[in-house]
Amino acid sequence: MEAEQLIQEPFRTPRLHSFSMITLTQVAKNYDTPAGDYPALCGVDLQIAAGEFVAIVGKSGSGKSTLLNLIAGIDRPSMGEVVVNGANIREFSENRLALWRGKNIGLVFQFFQLMSTLTAAENVMLPMDFARIISPRQRRTRALELLERVGCTRHADKLPSALSGGEQQRVAIARALANDPPVVLADEPTGNLDSSTGKAIFTLFGSLVRSGKTLVVVTHERDVAEKFTRVVELSDGAMIAAGTPDRQGATR
Amino acid sequence: MTASTRKAVGDAWQERARSGFVVAAIALGVAAFLALLASYAILTRELHSGYLATNPASAILHTDAVDDHMLAAVGADPEVGSAEAKRMVFGRIEVGPAQWRNLLLFVVSDYGSIRLNKIVPEQGAWPPATGEMLIERDAVQVAHARIGQTFVVRTADRQEHTLRISGRVHDVGQAQARMENSVYGYITPRTLAQLGQKPVLDLLYIQVATNKYDEAHIRHVAEKVKQRLEAEGYRIHGVDVPVPGKHPHADLMGTLLLAMFSFGVLLLALSGVLALNFTAALMAAQVRQIGIMKALGGTRGQVARIYLLQALLLGGVATVIGAPVGIWGTLLLCRYMGMFLNFDVTSFGIPGWVFVLAAMVGLGVPVIASAFPVWRRTSMSVRLALANTGTPQDHFGRSVVDRMLAGIGGGVRPVILSVRNSFRRRTRLVLTCTTLTCAGLLFMTALNLRTSMIRTFDRLFAAQKYELTVNFGEMYPVEKINRAILSVPGVIRSENWIVTQAVIARTGRRAPRVTDASDTFRVFALPADSKLFVPVLAKGRSLRSGEDDGILLNQTLAAQNPQIKVGDHLMLQMGSAEMKGRVVGVDREPMAPPPIAYVPISVLERVHPGMANFTGIAIKKTESASIESMRNAIDSNLEREGIRGVGISSKSEFRVAVDQHMLMIYIFLVLASCVVAGVGGLGLATTMGINVLERRREIGILRAIGATSRMIAAIVVLEAVVIAVLSWGAAVLLARPLSEALAGMMGRSMHGAFDFSVAPLGILVCLTAALLVAATASLLPAASALRLSVREALTYE
Ligand SMILES: Nc1ncnc2c1ncn2[C@@H]1O[C@H](COP(=O)(O)OP(=O)(O)OP(=O)(O)O)[C@@H](O)[C@H]1O
Ligand SMILES: [Mg+2]
Repeated sequence: MEAEQLIQEPFRTPRLHSFSMITLTQVAKNYDTPAGDYPALCGVDLQIAAGEFVAIVGKSGSGKSTLLNLIAGIDRPSMGEVVVNGANIREFSENRLALWRGKNIGLVFQFFQLMSTLTAAENVMLPMDFARIISPRQRRTRALELLERVGCTRHADKLPSALSGGEQQRVAIARALANDPPVVLADEPTGNLDSSTGKAIFTLFGSLVRSGKTLVVVTHERDVAEKFTRVVELSDGAMIAAGTPDRQGATR
Repeated sequence: MTASTRKAVGDAWQERARSGFVVAAIALGVAAFLALLASYAILTRELHSGYLATNPASAILHTDAVDDHMLAAVGADPEVGSAEAKRMVFGRIEVGPAQWRNLLLFVVSDYGSIRLNKIVPEQGAWPPATGEMLIERDAVQVAHARIGQTFVVRTADRQEHTLRISGRVHDVGQAQARMENSVYGYITPRTLAQLGQKPVLDLLYIQVATNKYDEAHIRHVAEKVKQRLEAEGYRIHGVDVPVPGKHPHADLMGTLLLAMFSFGVLLLALSGVLALNFTAALMAAQVRQIGIMKALGGTRGQVARIYLLQALLLGGVATVIGAPVGIWGTLLLCRYMGMFLNFDVTSFGIPGWVFVLAAMVGLGVPVIASAFPVWRRTSMSVRLALANTGTPQDHFGRSVVDRMLAGIGGGVRPVILSVRNSFRRRTRLVLTCTTLTCAGLLFMTALNLRTSMIRTFDRLFAAQKYELTVNFGEMYPVEKINRAILSVPGVIRSENWIVTQAVIARTGRRAPRVTDASDTFRVFALPADSKLFVPVLAKGRSLRSGEDDGILLNQTLAAQNPQIKVGDHLMLQMGSAEMKGRVVGVDREPMAPPPIAYVPISVLERVHPGMANFTGIAIKKTESASIESMRNAIDSNLEREGIRGVGISSKSEFRVAVDQHMLMIYIFLVLASCVVAGVGGLGLATTMGINVLERRREIGILRAIGATSRMIAAIVVLEAVVIAVLSWGAAVLLARPLSEALAGMMGRSMHGAFDFSVAPLGILVCLTAALLVAATASLLPAASALRLSVREALTYE
C-alpha cells in the first residue's frame, strides 16, 4: 500500500535517498518575533532510516518541537530541504500536506489531544474518514484491532473524559496508526503520565518499531534509552550529538 | 486613557469580527426600537391633530330632510356648538371600460362655510360647479382620474350621468380610498338634482359646545336634540355617535404600531441575548487574565468595570450606528403610514425623550446582558483563576446528555463530530437557537394565520350563497323585482328581503335593561328557510320556518350588547313597526361587520305586504367579467321595470377588499421574521465564531491527523446547520400553539373566531431558510478556521 502511495506522489525523490525515511538537509527555522528573527533551528542535517527509533533530547527551548513539526509538515523550514518518505514536503500546499500527513505520519501529542466529543473508537476512525484509504465498512474493525493492539479494547465506546491519561495516550497512539503510516512522531508523549505508565507507552512504541515503523520521539525519559536506535541531542537549535544509544551510554 | 479603558478597547478590537456581529445586532435593535417608538409618537400626534383640524362632528342624526328651521332650532340650543346639514349618496362610477367602482358622494351646500368634518382643497376648482365633482386625493388612484376628466356615474335612479372632476381635496376623516377600493366625491345639492335625486340633505351633523370628548355628554345632548326635533314633528331615524376626538382609523393604527413596537422590543431582547452569548464566551477565555489582575491587586469591582466598560463601548458604537438608521426608518414608516391612512405628516420632529430612551436602551442592553457573565467570572478565586488554562475546560462526557449523544453512533465521524460539537455549550446553544427559533416562529405564524384567515373567510363566504345583492333604497313590489332579475341569464335564484334600520326598544323581563338604546343597526328580514342566507353559527341556532319571533344577531351586535343572551326577549323598533322576539342565536360573518339582526320576513310582510327593498342573487359564474356584465344586465332590467337600485354589491369584490386588509398583517409578520432571521444569523455567526475560537486546538489536531480544508469547513458549516435545524424544529413545535393563540386573539377582535389551520409550506420554507442562514452565518467562522495554521492552533493556549 505504501508503494502505491509513493507512486501517487508527484514529487518523487531521487533513488539515492530512498534508503532514508527522513532526510533533513541544512534545515534552518527562524521565527518572526517582535524583537526580530529568532533562530530556533540552524543547519540541521539529519537522516533517519526506515525502521529506526530515534529519540530527540535537549533542554527546554532547544528546538525539539520545532524539529518534529518540520518533519510532520506542521511547519515549513526557513531554509533547507525536508524529505519524508520520498516526498519533498516543502513544496506542498497546506491542503496537500494535510492529506499527505494523514496517510504518512502518525502524530502523538503530550496532551493526548483526543476529540472530546468522539468515543475512543470514533477517534481512531476519524483519520480513516479523512484519508479514505480504508473502506468505510472496514474502518470500525480496524479501529478495534488497533485498540486491541494498544490494550484498550474495553474502552472502545467510552468518551475520552472517562479514560485515564495513560489510556487516552494509548488511544491516541492507536489513532496515529489508523492509516498505517510508515512514520510515527511523538512530542513528549509521556510528559503527562506517571513513570510506570510512561514505560508501558515506550514498550508499545518498541513493538511498533519491531513491526517496521519509523519512530521519532521527543522525550525527557532517560531510563528507556536502551530502546532507541539513536539519540539526537539539540542545544540552542543545533545538533550536538546524533549517536547511538550505546555511544550515549558510553559517554555518560 | 487609563490602563483599564485601554484594555477594554483593546479586547474589543482584538475580537473585532465577533464584536462587529454583536454591534450590528444591537444597532439593528436600537434602530428598530427608535424607529417604532418615534413613529408611534409622531403618528399619534399628527393623526390626532390632523383629525381635530377637520373639526369632527360629535353626533350625526339621520332624518328625512334638514331644513332651515331645524338648523335654527338646533343651533339655538346652548349645548350645541354648531350644526350642519350634509348628505351621503351611494352609487357606482365607471373607472375604465366596463369597470365600475363604488362611489360615495358627499353633498354639501356651501363649500365656503364648512364648519364640521372639513375637507381641504388641494388642486383645481373650489367649490365644485353644478355637474362637477371634487375627488378625494387618495381616490384619484382608484379612479385613475385626471382633473378635467369626465366620468360616468350611476346613483339611485338607473340613469347614467356624467360628472366632470374639477378639483382634488383631502378628506382626513375618511378611510383610505384605495383600501376600500371606492371613490369619494364631493358635490353640491344642484348636482345631486342633476343626478336625478331630490336635492335634500338628510344628515344633521352636530358638535357639542362643551366637553367635546365626553361621550356620555354627547349622547345626552344628541338625545335631547332628537327629542326636541321629534317634538316639533321631525322624524329622526337614528343617531350615530363616533368615538369623540378619535380618527376612525386611530385604533387600527395604534394596533399596528403597538404590534410593531413589541417587535422592536423583541428585536432588542434578541440582540441582548447575542451580547450575552458573546460576553459569556469572552469572559470564559479571560479567566486567567482576571486572576492575574486580581493577583496584582485589582478588586472585583475594578476588574468587572473593565468588562462592563467594554459592553458599554459596544453599546455606544451600536447606538451611534443605529440612531441614524432609526431616524431614516422613522421617516420611511411615517410616510408610509401617512399614505396608508391618508393624512399628512406636517412635522417629522422626533420628541427628545425618544432619543434619550433609545440611547439608554442601546447602552443598557449590552451592559445588562453582560452583567451575569461578568459577575460570575470575576467572582472566581485568584488561585482557581490562575490554574485555569484559558481555553474553556472540556467536560464533555460528564453529563447524561453527553453520554446519550455518544451512544448515538453513525456512519461518518466528521458528521458525528459536528453534531456533538453543537451540543457542547448548551447554554450558548439554547441562546443561539432562541433567536433563530423566534424568526421561524414569526414566519410560520404569519403563514398559519394567513391560511387560517383564508380558510375562515372561505367558509364564511361560502355560507352566503348569493353573489350579488341589490339595495333598492325603497320598497318595490316583489313581482316587479322578480321579473327584472330572474330574466337575467345566469341568475340561479333570487330572494327578496326587507332591510330597515332598527333600535332595541327594550329588553324583556329576563334581560337587564339596555342602557344605550339609541344605537341603530340594520335589520334584515328574510325567509326563515332562506336558501341564500345560511348563517355560520357562533351560538344557538338559526331562524326556523313557522317561527315568527326569532331574532338572529350577528357577532358585532351581540358583542355590542353583551348583556343580551341567547333566549332573551327583545323588543325591536323598526321605523313604525315593532317586533317582540326572542334571540335564537349568533351568526359569524367575515371581518368586523356592522351590527345586524336577522328576523323572519313575516314580521315586516305585515307592514309591507308583497314588497321588498333588497334582493340577494345567486349566479352561475363568478369570474369578475361575467359578474360585471350581469350587474349591468340587472341594472337595465330594473330600469325597464321602473325600479331604482341604490347599489349592487358583489360578494367577490368584498372578498378582495377583505383580503387586502388582512394582507397588511401578514406582510408585517413576514417582514418582521426576516429581520429577526437577520439577527438570528448574526447570533449564529457569533456563536460559530466563538466555537471556532475555542476549538482552535482541536481544529489544529484535525489538520494534523489529515483533515483537508474542505473537511474542516464542512465540519464548521455542518455544526451551524445542526443548530439551525434544531431551531427550526423548536419553531415548528411552538408555531402551532402560538398561531392558534394569535388567531384566537384576532378572531376576538372581530367579535368572532378563526378556524385554525397549519400551513405546511411555511414549515418547508423555514427549513430552507434555516439551511441558508446556517450556510451564510458559518462562512466567516469557517474561513477563520481555515486560516489557522496547524502550529498556531496547537500552541494556542
Ligand atoms: N511561534 C514561535 N514564535 C517565536 N518563537 C518561537 C515560536 N515557537 C517556538 N519559539 C522559540 O523557538 C525555540 C524552540 O522552541 P521549541 O518549542 O522547539 O522548544 P522545545 O525544545 O520543544 O522546548 P520544550 O522542551 O520546552 O518543549 C524556543 O526558544 C521558543 O521560544
Ligand atoms: Mg516542546
